[in-house]
Amino acid sequence: MLETYIKKYHKNNFQYILVDAAGKVIETDNHIIPIGNLTQIQEVHPFFEAFSDLFFIKNESYDFLCINLDFDKTSIIADITLQTHNDNKNLIIIEDLTKHYNNYQLAAQNRNESLINAQILKLKNLHLKEKEQFKNIFIANFSHQLRNPITALNIFSNLLKDTTLDDTQESYVNVINTANKNLKQSVEGILDISKIEAGKLILVEKVFSLKALLNEIINEHKLHITKKNIEFNFILDPKLPEFLNGDSFRLKQIIGNLLSNATYFTLKGFINLNISLNHIRANKANLHIKVSDTGIGIDPKDYEQIFKRFTKIESTIKNDMSTGLGLSITQYLISQMDGNIKVQSEIGIGSVFTCNISFKLATSYDKNLKEVLLHKVRKRLDKKHNILLVEDSELIQLSILKIIAADGNFFLNIISNGDDFISTIMDQDVDLILLSSTIQNYTAEELTKSLRKLSKEYKKIPVISISSKAFKEDIKSLKKAGINDVITKPFDEETLLNTIHQYLK
Amino acid sequence: MTTSKKIVLLGHFGVGKSSLIRRFVENTFSEDYKVTIGVHISKKTIDTPDKKTISLIIWDLEGHDDVEKNRASYLMGTHGFIYVFDASRPVTFENLEDQLLILKTKYPNIPVKVVANKTDLVKKTEINQYNDIFKPLVDFYTSAKTGSKVDLLFSKLANELI
Repeated sequence: MLETYIKKYHKNNFQYILVDAAGKVIETDNHIIPIGNLTQIQEVHPFFEAFSDLFFIKNESYDFLCINLDFDKTSIIADITLQTHNDNKNLIIIEDLTKHYNNYQLAAQNRNESLINAQILKLKNLHLKEKEQFKNIFIANFSHQLRNPITALNIFSNLLKDTTLDDTQESYVNVINTANKNLKQSVEGILDISKIEAGKLILVEKVFSLKALLNEIINEHKLHITKKNIEFNFILDPKLPEFLNGDSFRLKQIIGNLLSNATYFTLKGFINLNISLNHIRANKANLHIKVSDTGIGIDPKDYEQIFKRFTKIESTIKNDMSTGLGLSITQYLISQMDGNIKVQSEIGIGSVFTCNISFKLATSYDKNLKEVLLHKVRKRLDKKHNILLVEDSELIQLSILKIIAADGNFFLNIISNGDDFISTIMDQDVDLILLSSTIQNYTAEELTKSLRKLSKEYKKIPVISISSKAFKEDIKSLKKAGINDVITKPFDEETLLNTIHQYLK
Repeated sequence: MTTSKKIVLLGHFGVGKSSLIRRFVENTFSEDYKVTIGVHISKKTIDTPDKKTISLIIWDLEGHDDVEKNRASYLMGTHGFIYVFDASRPVTFENLEDQLLILKTKYPNIPVKVVANKTDLVKKTEINQYNDIFKPLVDFYTSAKTGSKVDLLFSKLANELI
């Protein structure tokens, strides 16, 4: 019975070939490959050329697994055994395992393809990251280079404005001022984006007066808005807390950006700013900020688009000189403050931007800080103080000289060389040092450290660094070296004088 | 009389060993990647500059990240090795020095040509970036796709085998 089935189902996938010591075929059953007697086996397929040297070794067995044999009309994958004998008769056994190996090939194909794809993806990611890093370094360096000229432009155009000018001259100075302000904003925007991308934009926590901040924002924008003959209404909720703890600079940036956008895209009608208190929970105040306008409006399909960096939607491109970074930065800042921002708009009717942001309430622990904030106005000092400026940029030297001279509370001595730093301090009375973060051959850290190493009296001299590096770790490194405060370029008159006055009472 | 020489191609999978052989033997190229299992054997006869004819029996081995994973029977009677890596995928040349050391130790008298393939995929600057790893070891920068330096690779090796 079994015999019958075996006969019916048995598949002979073997071929036996007998060859002599030179490889000439003596006998073959031709089950798989048709080979004529007296053919040289080496001519059947180049694989068999490997046997030429082995035929002379007697009584050995060699196994060759998974050999792909391609012929004109067919291909097989086989395991091949060579059995050599004493009598110069060599047996070649071919076992056709094509089906088995084809299944294995499919599995290997899938495995290898997915491994290679994963490797390529990883490499592409790496290259993208490298490109991104290069771009961020480039942006940081580039904006760094712009800081000195922007600072000087800002200070001198303000000083020029205070001189006697006729109407035409004053209008020219105003143009310079506005252009410089826009340039400063663009540079700061690009720097913010590079900080965001490098994960280095960190929010600070400091007590601030919300009321004072909002008044400052409103005053700054009122002028621009009403100049365009647009109505500006603002409603501040009387329940708003007076003092908050958080990043007031960034809050000002958020509201300022929404107002600037509204001003930019509104040609007639009104702009409303509404700030109210959502709730106070767990010692945190949740603010609701709403800026509405009767501007050109945004198509709902572009809502997502407008928050992407360097994006400008079609309808706004004309005459738009901005970098398209503002809303992207605004959204990032709000998200860092665990808040949210939404937009609702209709083309030709106007837009409403709303956001909710939480701030810690200032506690009684921060009371002394409150006092500092309440008495921000600079006092006339009892005597004139000596300030030493260490700076090698002539533009910045001149800018600071003008500001200090106008204030009238100080004598200013300038050195532009780090080598003279210690000798100047030892020779002269110095009440405060303004130190550039980079002057030739020295860093501000090195100079401060050598100053602090001198006798006790020199340890107390306030050192304020004028830094063109604005990353958090730069500022941390400066403070660690013994620098009391850092002013980042581009700075204005107010910032410089406020900081100096803070250390000289 | 024609002399036969066995050349074995080694290297990681997907580096283009089969493509190099197809370019050399048939002068064709396909973007489709088909994984080689076991071994494929091809033959091409070439004339050397000194008018000798040589028959190259080229063994295209399944790719492995370690030459020691290859079946010993495949390497028996080899006259010359070609070690191929993919210049666009560092994983295929990160262990190059070790692999060549194994070959030199196990087969001290057999010439080895080291090939950086797929140069059409990488810019010169990227190749320079990896030069520290493979530059002193590479003999040929090839592209099976464009055919660049493929014939030269085989003919140079063939000349050394005579």
